[in-house]
Amino acid sequence: MNGSFSTRMLRTIAAWVVVAIFFFPIYYWTSVAFKHGNDIFNRPPKLFAFTPTFDNFQKVFGISLGSGGITVTPGGGNFYMAPRVWDSIVIATLSTVLAVAIATLAAYALSRMNFRGRHSFVGWVLSTRMMPPVAVAVPMFFIYKNFGLIDTYTGMVLIHALMNLPLAVLLMKSFFDDIPSEIDESAIVDGASRFMIFRRIVLPMAKGGIAATAVLCFIFSWTEFLFALTLTTTSLKTVPVVSSTFVTSIGTAWGNMAALGAASIIPAFIFILLVQKHLVRGLTMGSLKQ
Amino acid sequence: MRVAQARRFVISDHPLPWLLPLVAILLVFTVYPLIYNIWLSFHEFVPRRRALEFVGTENWVQLWNDTRFWQSLVITFTYFAIALVFELVLGMAIALLLDSDGFGFGFLRGVLTMTLVIPPAIVGMMYLLMEDPQFGVISYLLQSIGLLNSNNPILATASTALAGVLVAEIWQWTPFMVLIFLAGLRALPPEPYEAAMIDGASSFQIFRRITLPMMSKVIAIAVLVRGIDLFRVFDYVFVMTSGGPGASTYSLSLYAWQQTFSFVKWGYGATLSLVTLVIILVIANLFIRIAKVRW
Repeated sequence: MNGSFSTRMLRTIAAWVVVAIFFFPIYYWTSVAFKHGNDIFNRPPKLFAFTPTFDNFQKVFGISLGSGGITVTPGGGNFYMAPRVWDSIVIATLSTVLAVAIATLAAYALSRMNFRGRHSFVGWVLSTRMMPPVAVAVPMFFIYKNFGLIDTYTGMVLIHALMNLPLAVLLMKSFFDDIPSEIDESAIVDGASRFMIFRRIVLPMAKGGIAATAVLCFIFSWTEFLFALTLTTTSLKTVPVVSSTFVTSIGTAWGNMAALGAASIIPAFIFILLVQKHLVRGLTMGSLKQ
Repeated sequence: MRVAQARRFVISDHPLPWLLPLVAILLVFTVYPLIYNIWLSFHEFVPRRRALEFVGTENWVQLWNDTRFWQSLVITFTYFAIALVFELVLGMAIALLLDSDGFGFGFLRGVLTMTLVIPPAIVGMMYLLMEDPQFGVISYLLQSIGLLNSNNPILATASTALAGVLVAEIWQWTPFMVLIFLAGLRALPPEPYEAAMIDGASSFQIFRRITLPMMSKVIAIAVLVRGIDLFRVFDYVFVMTSGGPGASTYSLSLYAWQQTFSFVKWGYGATLSLVTLVIILVIANLFIRIAKVRW
């Protein structure tokens, strides 16, 4: 439906206005990250006219912008969050690797092999996606305490991998379903084993799907809150969890908080743009294809 | 010999070796917690003796008589319903608006994707700032058009706190619906539209009679995926209001979590999280049956 020039114009303007409204909060937080304290607390809120500062990033990441370019000095202080960013990256990366590895194996079987109860098995995997995190976190807290897994990478990697498994399995299954099974069958006739077909033929063909699955697992681990809050206490913390530590008895360090928030968007956003083609399929756990 | 046998089994056509790692981790991390929760719901931690003691059905009786629980159930359903309606309607409207190949529309769709990758806890913190009664930009806006009294902070007034949380929720997840609906709209066949145009149907008729029915599967999946998460809401209420003021924003997940970790009521917390789990499973599976969603 194309319509006249004026309706197209109107539609374009409306589209830009709507997206601008959705983008505004992100702009506003990013601007807070570059503001001095008194500019943040100004009334009316200062949206554009303020003197930018890099202090917040210096405090939170130890990054300073001087005449000699960007310098990084690992700092101390309560709000120095670079180690927390590192924790988040390690947990997200390792849990993604684990989840994708387990999920591709299982998804291949679910896509290619006929066995009794396959349908209910898929249903079971889907229903684990429905478990409220709180119902898993409470028992896990006691188990982790017994095994000394609180505050460890191992503990967080395992729980985040688990959280992402249903999504990863269903998504990978939908990607394998796209690859015609005649390819497998002809390879079997040629005497290849199942595992050889999987590794040499199917995996390379599903590269794009694996990348999309990995990106989504990474993002869900990166943004996860309840498990990270419950299963870590002091020495290990992820970015979402430390966001509430900026609230102190003498007020909230909004500038520092915003610096962390603005920086937390960047890696995830770059990743998701790389797999935009499969994004909707990923968000719907493989049930909708673009 | 044994090794050769095992090797042949691993590379065979049998699904077990392929599924074993998945089954193992799902058993340990979902079935075990389930059983543990059931067991825990018949026990309670006694601080005096620093031990769990069997209390029979006491937790379940308490649950039945706990007005806080019923209140949090109502709040969770309210949150669920309002968020879902707003996200569906706004999502569909924006998707229809952005369904164009015109210049810049791809860029706009990319910008909308941004909200999905921000940790909800950080979104909550940022809306906490934007809804601050003194220097928050949303409060300022509402006050200057006379919709909000400066004596009533959004998040500290019982009647508006839930709405304040919902703003963050709807802002972050409407783009989720937009992206899914856009994919659905783009995949629709053009023929019914051409026929309708020839018959002189109005655009509302076309939407109502052609677009909506053909999009029903897409809408059902979006409702299911988003609905599951909405019912488990925790992050926003935890950082924005901690359930307050009073109990006006207590979600089931938050109430269960606080009973366990803030008030050391391990047994009662487990009972509450079990109830949350059962409600989600029942509703979601009913929905899958009725809407005939298939994976």
